[in-house]
Amino acid sequence: MIRYLARRLLSLALTLLVASVVIFLIIEVVPGDTASLMLGVNADEETRLALREELGLDVSKPVRYFNWVSGMLTGDFGISYTYRTPVSEMIADRMMVSFPLALYALALSTLIAFPAGIIAATKRGSFSDVSIMGVTQLGVAIPNFWFAMILVTIFAIKLRWFSAGGFPGWEVGFFAGLKSLTLPAFALALPQASILARVMRSSLLDTLGEDFIRTARAKGLSARQALWGHALRNALIPVLTIIGLQFSFLLAGAIIIENIFFLPGLGRMIFQAITQRDLIVVESVVMLLVFAVVAVTFLVDVAYAVVDPRLRRRV
Amino acid sequence: MSLLTVQDLRVSIGGNSILTDIDLSVDAGKVLGIVGESGSGKSMTAYSIMRLLPDGSEMNGKVILDGTELTALSEEQMCRVRGRQIGMVFQEPMTALNPLHTIGDQIAETVKMHTKTGRSEARRITLDTLRRVELPPEEFPPSRYPHELSGGQRQRVVIAMAIALRPQLLIADEPTTALDVTTQAQLLNLLKRLVDDDQMGLVLISHDLAVIASTADDIAVMRNGVVVESGSTDEVFNHMQHPYTRELMKASAHVPEKLAPTAEIASPLLIVKDLVRDYKVPRKGFFDKVSYFRAVDQVSFTIHRGENVGLVGESGCGKSTLTRAILGLEDIQGGSVSLDGEFVIAKDAMSLSSRRKMQVVFQDPYGSFNPRHTVGRLVAEPLHALAIQPDRAAREKAVNAVLARVGLQTADSKKYIHEFSGGQRQRIAIARALINRPSLIILDEAVSALDVSIRAQILDLLVELAASDDIAYLFISHDLSVVRSFTERVMVMKDGRIVEEGETEKVFRSPEHPYTKSLIAAAPKTPSVAY
Repeated sequence: MIRYLARRLLSLALTLLVASVVIFLIIEVVPGDTASLMLGVNADEETRLALREELGLDVSKPVRYFNWVSGMLTGDFGISYTYRTPVSEMIADRMMVSFPLALYALALSTLIAFPAGIIAATKRGSFSDVSIMGVTQLGVAIPNFWFAMILVTIFAIKLRWFSAGGFPGWEVGFFAGLKSLTLPAFALALPQASILARVMRSSLLDTLGEDFIRTARAKGLSARQALWGHALRNALIPVLTIIGLQFSFLLAGAIIIENIFFLPGLGRMIFQAITQRDLIVVESVVMLLVFAVVAVTFLVDVAYAVVDPRLRRRV
Repeated sequence: MSLLTVQDLRVSIGGNSILTDIDLSVDAGKVLGIVGESGSGKSMTAYSIMRLLPDGSEMNGKVILDGTELTALSEEQMCRVRGRQIGMVFQEPMTALNPLHTIGDQIAETVKMHTKTGRSEARRITLDTLRRVELPPEEFPPSRYPHELSGGQRQRVVIAMAIALRPQLLIADEPTTALDVTTQAQLLNLLKRLVDDDQMGLVLISHDLAVIASTADDIAVMRNGVVVESGSTDEVFNHMQHPYTRELMKASAHVPEKLAPTAEIASPLLIVKDLVRDYKVPRKGFFDKVSYFRAVDQVSFTIHRGENVGLVGESGCGKSTLTRAILGLEDIQGGSVSLDGEFVIAKDAMSLSSRRKMQVVFQDPYGSFNPRHTVGRLVAEPLHALAIQPDRAAREKAVNAVLARVGLQTADSKKYIHEFSGGQRQRIAIARALINRPSLIILDEAVSALDVSIRAQILDLLVELAASDDIAYLFISHDLSVVRSFTERVMVMKDGRIVEEGETEKVFRSPEHPYTKSLIAAAPKTPSVAY
């Protein structure tokens, strides 16, 4: 088990290293000089060079890469070109919105998908199965920005249960913060829950057809006991993979939803940074997202090992 | 009174009748063997007794266990009977256990399910049961997971789950079919011992007459959902009443008519010399040295033109690896393989003309074909190995000719593989092997998955083809009786080496190597009777 984890950690570190090099090179090949862009076309050469020095752009590329990486390791992500504030602070602020939003959406999606998938699988071919499959089909098909607008129309404008957008900040209170994230979380969760429910259903159906379920029934377990005691944990393995993929997507992929609800999240920040050519911000946020994806993958790997004893031995 | 009585049992699924008027009875301490070919309704009978039939099935008739009418019980009451009064063992030990739970937990589950015993008592029963199935807990602690055990050991765990509470009746559905002969013999002995120890009734289901004959007190022969003949084992084997029983008996002991061996000494066709095949063993640690597992160890033999050579051995002995190496599908680490004077080299270095001389037929008649190609296309596939590519008409002609030779119709070339039965599929596989007029066909367990009557037909076909086309066979099988009746020479393989080789009859009559002796002793024998 420890060896398995050590190997996963090693591969995590290597992935991050490769990713940082790739991100750095891609940003480097983007044409245009940041300093001249910031100063406008009429700036004189001396000012431009001074700014380049200030931004740390005057040294060679390997040195810059090294400065960037070592800075990140100590929590110093550099200074934003446009806002002149430390990137780490900007990210920290945005993370306070994006991370809870992603978690919230994931929790909702899991809470909806698990029961739906289980019911559909155990009552295969029944009315509930057919309706769940129909609704999830719709959930996959509906674009989430459209669903978000419908939610706003119903719950914010008609019923006035939630505000239509914005984020008051966690200082106002945990529940106030959570409340303002509820509609966006639902909008994000709908397609995810639909996919997850379908995966859960098919995985559970496969597992219920396995020989060991028959064995369990022959031991005297009722269909229900066999489901909870034997089928569910086995069915969870493919579901975990999907959950891992979804979390990374939710963290980075909420750009449109964040824009609809005026949420100051990471997605919006990276979108703005790209349009403003604030490359240091782009670099850092992308790196952070890579880290998040890799870390989630690592957690999923750990979860596999917890669920499946066969993996603990595999080297 | 009998322990188990089945009366007028009828089962239909979706309106199709599966079982008709089944009458059976089993006494305590006795073994009832149910024998029949695939689709005869053997397993369905077992599931009916357990009341575990698939959804949509309808069941009529009575199943009475020790005075209780099981057919009248509610599902909830039935759950209390399963595992407590009736235990069941299945065919596939590799998948019959939950891979995520330890074997101890799975055995203890039966105990906890039905009794109110505490944790320590359940553990005591678990350890005791492991001992009863001859898996001493000192060697096989209950904390093991199924993937850490071999097939035979897993089957013992499945049996342990079934007998933990000493049920009155045990149903074993093809419990040894997926296992090697020596393991099979051990498990059958274990089952017989358990029957004697606990005065348990056993329903043993098998397609293998020899297994049933050597184990059962009474026999029921099934065909198409009907019991065609039943009675005590001696009675059934000595006075076979029903023509089907006789047919079954005849087919399982079928010896294809061999032609008298030609007097002249045939030239060597396949020469395998000091063949070595190593596999990399996955490294344990990141910086560990790479280690190797020697799957085939210095194997040498020769097959002559038109000769029929058998290769027997248990799973994991290196038979399949050897086959792949001979076919040039894998790199070898030492020695050589030559076919008709040309060396067989892995990958594309080998000439196509030489490759076409060697063909193979595999075990699984279901998995060896691409389901989306027509039979005509499947059979024509090896033609690309010819130096001159035949045109469409010639191709079609060749396919039709070869289909006719294996007993299929021209129209069959337009069909897809799912439209054929197992035996027909194996004929198609043979047609595919034949189309390039090979000199050697490797039959890798080619008849193992077939019912005895179909097997007999395929063996006859193979013998006929060998005679007319001068084809040599390398016949690989774990089934000793088939090897004995089909081959002229036999090689016995163990741990990557050939431990004994010689004329088939001679080897079977007076085996020299202790391993060969143990194999032959373990093989179940059909009683010899007059047909």
